[in-house]
Amino acid sequence: MYGGGNTFEPMKATGIENEDPVLLAEFEARIERGEKIEPHDWMPQLYRKQLIRMIEQHAHSEIIGALPEGTWITRAPGFKRKLALMAKVQDEVGHAQLLYSAAETLGKPREQMLDDLVTGKSKYSNIFNYPAFTWADSCFISWLVDAGAIVNQLANARGSYGPYCRALERICAEESFHLKYGHHCVIHLATGTEKQREMMQAAINRWWPPMMHFFGPPDKASVHSEILMRWKVKMSSNDDQRNQFLDMYVPKIWELGFTIPDENLKKNTVTGKWEYTEPDWAEFKRVINGDGPCNAERLAVRRTAEERGRWVRKALLTPKTEYVTPLA
Amino acid sequence: MNKSLDPRVNRLDLPQGELTPKVPLDQFGTFEVFVQLKEGKGYRHEGSVHAPNIDMAFLFAKEQFSRRLMCAGIFVAETRNVFVTGFTEDKDSIYNHISDDFPEDGEIENYEVFHLNKRGKQHEHIGSVPSKNHQHALAQAKGEFIDGPPVFNIWVIKTADILFTEEEDMIMWNTLHEKKFRDASDYKAADKIKAFKERQQ
Ligand SMILES: [Fe+2]
Ligand SMILES: [Fe+2]
Ligand SMILES: [Fe+2]
Repeated sequence: MYGGGNTFEPMKATGIENEDPVLLAEFEARIERGEKIEPHDWMPQLYRKQLIRMIEQHAHSEIIGALPEGTWITRAPGFKRKLALMAKVQDEVGHAQLLYSAAETLGKPREQMLDDLVTGKSKYSNIFNYPAFTWADSCFISWLVDAGAIVNQLANARGSYGPYCRALERICAEESFHLKYGHHCVIHLATGTEKQREMMQAAINRWWPPMMHFFGPPDKASVHSEILMRWKVKMSSNDDQRNQFLDMYVPKIWELGFTIPDENLKKNTVTGKWEYTEPDWAEFKRVINGDGPCNAERLAVRRTAEERGRWVRKALLTPKTEYVTPLA
Repeated sequence: MNKSLDPRVNRLDLPQGELTPKVPLDQFGTFEVFVQLKEGKGYRHEGSVHAPNIDMAFLFAKEQFSRRLMCAGIFVAETRNVFVTGFTEDKDSIYNHISDDFPEDGEIENYEVFHLNKRGKQHEHIGSVPSKNHQHALAQAKGEFIDGPPVFNIWVIKTADILFTEEEDMIMWNTLHEKKFRDASDYKAADKIKAFKERQQ
């Protein structure tokens, strides 16, 4: 799951002034024709850097995103739910592996990305810095956070970088299970006892603000983001993705008799766009910069796993194999 | 740090102070993975894994690339053992640029040949040629495939450098079709929603 490859502070502008104009024109013409860029192709530094950052953050989000849901495996209600949630969490970690490989083809080794995750140098999707208090929270994540991720991933799958698109194709195929499973869990609570309904409603109330943050702040028009759109790195604006999500899922939440904690939320019948209270972007910034309810725990779990698993990797490490960049 | 909501995390007994920092870049090797969806169908490149040896690469590949649907076989090879040609475009086949000359050294053994038939897609296994070395294998493949549809890039791997699925390993995919819980179609709930809405009226 993932959101907000574009939600973090923009990179220090690395311009394209220094790029070879002939190569740049060929590169742009290729994208214009709808062809994919492959690892061996020439590409501008900005394209490479931005993609590495975006795919790497996506991968980290899969790994960290597995933590709040993983919490609930042992306490999932019944054997069927345990099996399903285990399968889902395994998929998410698998998604991270696919994405790390795609990012590696651009020249950043996987170990370096993992290092940057545990030192806090690279970010992951902000929503996973919030805790899953009850089983209903995990149902919200499985259904709606994954739904948000799918909006983002389907858009990115139409992007220009071949290895990322191919990884996303595999990922999106698995996400359809996550979405259906999550919806099934929520429906079960919605059509259950009063207590179950209350529990689900409380989870919706808790998760709505981070869900609105999920797609990132409204994009500021800038030369930078205009270039990234032209290069098909960024496929749609944060607001467009948020709107698409609301359009697809608000009716499905309402249909189950739940409310959404935003009295201004409604679809403008003239513009066809959703209107809502602007989420608290100061909180978003604060949490992304480390001061959220679970940031410390999430990273501590990763670091500890790394430290305590080190002897195993050390024992396995053989000089007979060699790290090289994956081919495609 | 506060007590976690996750009982497993509390059992981890997370250390308070700093951890010993990770040694940077203590990396495993890189392996390319090829998957056969159905018996009789061709093998296709699916992605890569990192592993300390080829046997573990095979296990990781199985976990990563055959969790659902079908799988009739996997093979893995170390990335550095893949011999890669240059790339061509449009109608120009890379075979037009392969030399007929090759070094004479090496004993004859089998080499596997993979074609990239379409830009943006994956490499596909096309066959094997007995040759003395990678260049020889390319020259041999040229004789066989230059008249076919254009090929834009070729990979050659010595057959001995590949770990293939053994007949006796195939049982690990026998239960794939039983794992319905991994499939979206196992979570139908339209009837439940319908009944719920009716009750509300
Ligand atoms: Fe996810
Ligand atoms: Fe997912
Ligand atoms: Fe995922």
